[in-house]
Amino acid sequence: MFLTFFASAQEQCSLSINGTVIDEYTDTPLSFVNVTIQEINQGVSTDEDGTFFINNLCPGHYHLSISHIGCDPKLIHLDLDQDTTLHLFLAHTPVSLDGVVIAGKSGAKNIQAKSTIGKQLIEDNIDSNVSELLERETGVTSLKNGNNVAKPVVHGLFGNRLTIMYNGVEQAGQQWGNDHSPEIDPLIANRLTVIKGASALEFGGANFGSVVLVEPRKIGREPHLHGRLGYSFASNGRGHNANLKMQQFTPLVAWRINGTFKRYGDGRAPNYFLNNTGFDEYNFAIQLEKSFKDKLFTELYVSTFNSRLGILRGSHIGNLTDLETALTSSIPFFTEPAFSYELEAPSQEVHHHFFKLNSKYYLSESKQLEFSWASQINDRKELDVRRSGRSDIPALSLLQYTNTIDVKYKQTVTEGNIKIGSQNVFINNSNEPGTGILPLIPNYFSARSGVYGILNRNIGNLLFEMALRYDFVLQNVATINSSREIVNYENRFHNLAGATGISLKLSNTQSLSINTGYAMRNPAINELYSNGLHQGVSGIEEGSIDLNTERSWKTTLEYKLLTGSDFSLESLIYFQRIGNYIFLEPQDEVRLTIRGAFPVFKYTQTEASISGFDLNAQYSFTNSLIGNLKYSYTLGNDMTNDVSLINIPAANIFNSFTYRFNKSWSFSNARIENVEIEWNNRYVFKQSRVLEEQDFTAVPAAYFLTGLRASFNQVFSKYTLRYFFKLENALDTKYRDYLNRQRYFADDLGRNFSLGISLKF
Amino acid sequence: MKSKLFCGWILFSALILFPGCDPDEPMVDNEEELITTVRYILTPIMADGVDVATFSFVDEDGDGGNDPIITVSNLKANVSYSGSIELLNESVAPSVNITEEIEAEKEDHQFFYKSSLSDVTIEYEDEDANGNPVGLMTELNAGIPATGTLTIVLRHEPVKDAPGVQSGDITNAEGSTDIEINFPLTIE
Repeated sequence: MFLTFFASAQEQCSLSINGTVIDEYTDTPLSFVNVTIQEINQGVSTDEDGTFFINNLCPGHYHLSISHIGCDPKLIHLDLDQDTTLHLFLAHTPVSLDGVVIAGKSGAKNIQAKSTIGKQLIEDNIDSNVSELLERETGVTSLKNGNNVAKPVVHGLFGNRLTIMYNGVEQAGQQWGNDHSPEIDPLIANRLTVIKGASALEFGGANFGSVVLVEPRKIGREPHLHGRLGYSFASNGRGHNANLKMQQFTPLVAWRINGTFKRYGDGRAPNYFLNNTGFDEYNFAIQLEKSFKDKLFTELYVSTFNSRLGILRGSHIGNLTDLETALTSSIPFFTEPAFSYELEAPSQEVHHHFFKLNSKYYLSESKQLEFSWASQINDRKELDVRRSGRSDIPALSLLQYTNTIDVKYKQTVTEGNIKIGSQNVFINNSNEPGTGILPLIPNYFSARSGVYGILNRNIGNLLFEMALRYDFVLQNVATINSSREIVNYENRFHNLAGATGISLKLSNTQSLSINTGYAMRNPAINELYSNGLHQGVSGIEEGSIDLNTERSWKTTLEYKLLTGSDFSLESLIYFQRIGNYIFLEPQDEVRLTIRGAFPVFKYTQTEASISGFDLNAQYSFTNSLIGNLKYSYTLGNDMTNDVSLINIPAANIFNSFTYRFNKSWSFSNARIENVEIEWNNRYVFKQSRVLEEQDFTAVPAAYFLTGLRASFNQVFSKYTLRYFFKLENALDTKYRDYLNRQRYFADDLGRNFSLGISLKF
Repeated sequence: MKSKLFCGWILFSALILFPGCDPDEPMVDNEEELITTVRYILTPIMADGVDVATFSFVDEDGDGGNDPIITVSNLKANVSYSGSIELLNESVAPSVNITEEIEAEKEDHQFFYKSSLSDVTIEYEDEDANGNPVGLMTELNAGIPATGTLTIVLRHEPVKDAPGVQSGDITNAEGSTDIEINFPLTIE
């Protein structure tokens, strides 16, 4: 929301506030918006033209609450000393249901397909991790290992091929691991954005078009202390989630803190406990902002993420025979009849510390220079079931230091803008000695230095964008070979990327965007040098030093219809061709070890194509009842071998009906409002394209889940209580998901209800 | 040279105290838990002139690398042997006796012996503190002359009281496998 001031001098207690409220997306005035001055509990509604007027006000500090059906209520602070006119933009749109807002106006404002999850939804799901939240978007799924290790998959790509930007900085860590979740507390974010584009060159990394952005917002100029204390309890896993957020603007510095604590015990499938699947997590973040003469804006951000994640005890297997027995077993091995919070091996212990210093300098109205330095420490320990009390000694212990230096220059030109930047990432990754196991990933130092330029321009109804990027990558690697000798490698890569796109405003309600982009990704360290038995997947994985750079060409076509009233639709078709696509190919040989014969997987390359279709449609049956339908379909092909790619999400449909009560109820000193009930359904098809010989067992069947969600606010004069309720897998359906590795051993989570309350002050 | 220059500019621009552009020297850990060698030694009971038979599996570099070496001896028909099994980690010097680790964690381990020859029987000759078999000591009765296989499995954390497990049937044993070896077996 943005506001601008127009003012003239006035006398005491005869001041007025007037203004208009405009829909940010459709540019049309919004009527029936409630504007309330909290301090004197005086409120009005906007008229048909979206205007409002409040008079006879004394000078002073006021908080204006702006609320409207379908919008998050907004709070604005105002120092009233003269008559004031406000122009308010509310993010009101039919597509804001479920918190998912299509960023930008319906017209040509954004070139790349992009969708955002807002603050309210994040806060109502204190119990969700980043990946679970993002799953609400079409085209996004999660690759999981159990219920708490989850990483996002966007348009079929994840890990090394999907960049996650945390607070403007590329999230570092052991992203290569399929069972490594991003070390991010979503509660620090005011929004989570997925860019499902052809090429997001500004963000760098190894992205092949898709980028996830986790962003805390600017603190703003609110001089009073505000915050939110939230708590929720989840029945499945008997989980506790708590979060405290506070912020204030002072003349010295604007500050915000965020603390999160979570603790879960064993999850439960419909018929049994999933032993050792609990987790705990504690996170803390401090954000400081200071502006100097409105020219220089500096931000300091420090955060720490700490978690211990249990892995299903029954998923620890010694060899293929164990796996085969597990696959046919009706309940997982080591299943206990009782619930427990206890965590033992196999488990992961992960710490991620983040530091960022960012400065923006406004050279003039139209020119801006930005510099940022970020430092990240990622400490990952994986514990396995071992003999002779060694289960406490990590089987894998990696420590990674990452430094990122960014310089960015932005300039507004006639009907457009230019961005030029440089991004430099330095990683030092080392194995901590003492594990008693030869490392899966070698020690390495890597540096990536890139430059890019992006130009976009409005030409009538058309927005045009063009971008170019070059990166130089250096890898210095120290591996240990099978004769236990240290062998060093030095690699250099040159990566080029380019993208172009146009967005066309067809009418006031329709727009069309076409994007196409080329990008290169050099082979990652694990693909080149990993070597050894991957216990979890019962296979020997071998890197290959002969791998070449991957080359991707992706094209997206997006059509949007926002009628602003009862119907809206977004659809996206994408096609991506990846040359030299790197994947783990099962080899003909099996390798004999003391635990029997293991299949050998080797990183090889092929011609791959990934294409798909995302649809998000919404219809307002009445003012109160809104229906939503989402569908996504992804097709992944290994064109050389004429088979499907593995780990491609199955097609899925999501549907919801939301009923909003368009009125509020007043009780003695409080008002009940924003009462909302949602019924949601998800159907996930069977991934039937994967052949039997491409997996250890048949792919799981299709499944259907249904759930409920409800929330309402109890508004007091100085604070608001919010109550939220969630029922998931209401029918206690037994199911297994193709992208969850735990499916080899156990069913997915059964019924869960969670109940939460938050205090906003 | 180019790369040195690049490193220079990295270090300059980063102003960060990296120890340089090189990764940390990796420590080659001793793989303490690795089992490289399994020896099943069969000593004939009351049979003069019959040699001690040894079945061994040696994979000095662990999983991957060079192939393991399997050596076997022929057994004499209708002879009873006293069997003992020995596990070593020979990737380190001096080698580590893993048998002792199993001995110390008897309750959490069990060996399973199975031959494809129905005439060959193998029985447990030892037990843990709970009176369940371990399989470090066994007795093998070679039957009539034939050729087949002998499979030795070591399970970590098996369910020893599951049906059949105490008599050496692995079907319901669960747990995770530490060793699984197939030896060719000849009774002459």
